[in-house]
Amino acid sequence: MSAVGDQRVTQRRGWQGLDNPYAFLLPAVLVFGMFALYPILRSLFLSFFHYEFLRPEEMGWVGWANYAEIFRDERVTGWPGIVSPEKPLSVWEIAFYPFLAVWLTINAPGGAFWNTIRFTVMYVPAAIVLPLVVAVLIERAGRLSTLFRTLNFIPIVVSVAVVSIIWMWIYHPEYGVLNTLLRGLLGRDAGYNWLSDAKLAMPAIVAMAVWHGLGFNMLLYLVGLQRIPLELTEAARVDGATGWKAFRMVTLPLMKPTILLVGLLATIGALKVFGQMFIMTQGGPGDSTLSMVLYLYNVAFRYGKFRFGYASALAWMLAAFILLVTLVAFRLTRERE
Amino acid sequence: MIILDKLKRYGNSSLLYLVLAGISVASVLPFVWIVLSSLKPHEELYSNSLTFLPQSYTLVNYTTMFERMVGFGYYYRNSILVSFGTVILTLFAGSLAAYALSRFRFKGDQVVFLVFLATIMVPGEVGLIGQYELLSAYKLLNTLTGLTLSYTAFNLALTIFIMRNVFAAVPQEMLDAARVDGCSWWEAFWQIMIPMGASGLAAAGTLVFLNAWNEFIFALTMNNWTDEARTLTVGIQLLQGQWQHWDYGVLFSSVMLSFLPVILLFLLLQKTFMRGLTAGAVKG
Repeated sequence: MSAVGDQRVTQRRGWQGLDNPYAFLLPAVLVFGMFALYPILRSLFLSFFHYEFLRPEEMGWVGWANYAEIFRDERVTGWPGIVSPEKPLSVWEIAFYPFLAVWLTINAPGGAFWNTIRFTVMYVPAAIVLPLVVAVLIERAGRLSTLFRTLNFIPIVVSVAVVSIIWMWIYHPEYGVLNTLLRGLLGRDAGYNWLSDAKLAMPAIVAMAVWHGLGFNMLLYLVGLQRIPLELTEAARVDGATGWKAFRMVTLPLMKPTILLVGLLATIGALKVFGQMFIMTQGGPGDSTLSMVLYLYNVAFRYGKFRFGYASALAWMLAAFILLVTLVAFRLTRERE
Repeated sequence: MIILDKLKRYGNSSLLYLVLAGISVASVLPFVWIVLSSLKPHEELYSNSLTFLPQSYTLVNYTTMFERMVGFGYYYRNSILVSFGTVILTLFAGSLAAYALSRFRFKGDQVVFLVFLATIMVPGEVGLIGQYELLSAYKLLNTLTGLTLSYTAFNLALTIFIMRNVFAAVPQEMLDAARVDGCSWWEAFWQIMIPMGASGLAAAGTLVFLNAWNEFIFALTMNNWTDEARTLTVGIQLLQGQWQHWDYGVLFSSVMLSFLPVILLFLLLQKTFMRGLTAGAVKG
């Protein structure tokens, strides 16, 4: 290199001004600033405006009105008539809202927000427990563990869109595998309209999501399991702890950070659920599988008015909720340490 | 777990293998079934008796697909172009920025890093509406350029985060030696950092590739007016809407062709895929 070094110095002269960290940052900052940061902030800005994309001339500042509308939107809260659309929310109504929230989750009233919560509440526990079981089993499988790991990991490399289409066929009422099997086992009249029954559609989507995410969460657990020092499991065995006891006393406490990570990622993913509903049910039957992101997508692009202002408020409300969940989870991990 | 306890006692692990085999089959079976079903003739698919292996093999679904699903070729091409474009752009801009952030102290370095870090926490869906407006203003809707830039921007923060850790592990002496030899920082980046961080780059690259190849909501919003602009995820759900009541066999052949390359790529580069995905997960 030194032989041509002198030549390079002269060639390089014009570029020397660019040989510094600011120049190295420039491409990333430009693309990121323009196509990620700007859109995010623009959405925040728009959320305080009355703004329909096709009628930009009507655009006008409305303050918190879009956010207030979320609480009154029957398709979000699933609760008609209680909070009237005409009058603004009183302090009491806002203070009362958390209690209302608990009551509504139990009574599952529908509406995009509660559907999303229902999806999350069903999905997250399964996404935490099942992959952990699989990971612990795979850890013990010895030479075949790589094979099992690979096979279980395959679904997650395939997109939600493709997986949804495959499962629509599995759930198909007439020709689907599931109903054909049920008919074979239980007789000709057995089987369900998995995706067009308001009670079954959401659990059916949850089951698919759990199947789809299994491999990824399993991998996170396997990474966590490998971090457990061998001496600890050995020591436990010497002390007579085997099987379930060793798992509960040694593995589980040491896996807590990983479990929290899996739980957090599953929760964030569940709160943003969109593709499954968009492809499989379009939010139906009724609004029973209308998720938050699907609803905001519909408000912005489907219902005809292109209400970008209100859709932005919905998006930021969801983001704030996700951020809150994340912060709570971080607080939990910190307390553990 | 109680079962496991007993297993240990009897010194027999066949049940463990059986359970794991069952779970693994459940993970893979839907894909195998699609492959097999795409080879079945129409009558067999729509008969009341379920078959696993085709009674008669046929390629008619594939020929019909290539004849009738005119958009499919476009979707395939677009997914490949957008995904690889995103990977190249993201790795280039991202690793350069990671180099700056891991090896230099300069005014504002903390701020820049914190802004990148903060956006990892914000769900990308929040940018959807702003992005649509922006791309519309610059006539980038329904263009591959627009979608690629959008994917690049939303994958950058994560890439920078991963590559910053990778580069931080490169010994400073190597950089110093290169500098003494007369390398500029730019040359040192290509000659030291890129080779030293190659496996990290590969892992980040597969993560970004998967993100781009499988992305749905942005593609659906930005590139859904013409077949010339649609990617596979959007195209396939459109085809699903058109064909589900008519001919599932043809649909299966298109579904099979859209998951096959990713699964093959994964089987070839397993370690890299798994490293990339775990690196992406531990982003918080």
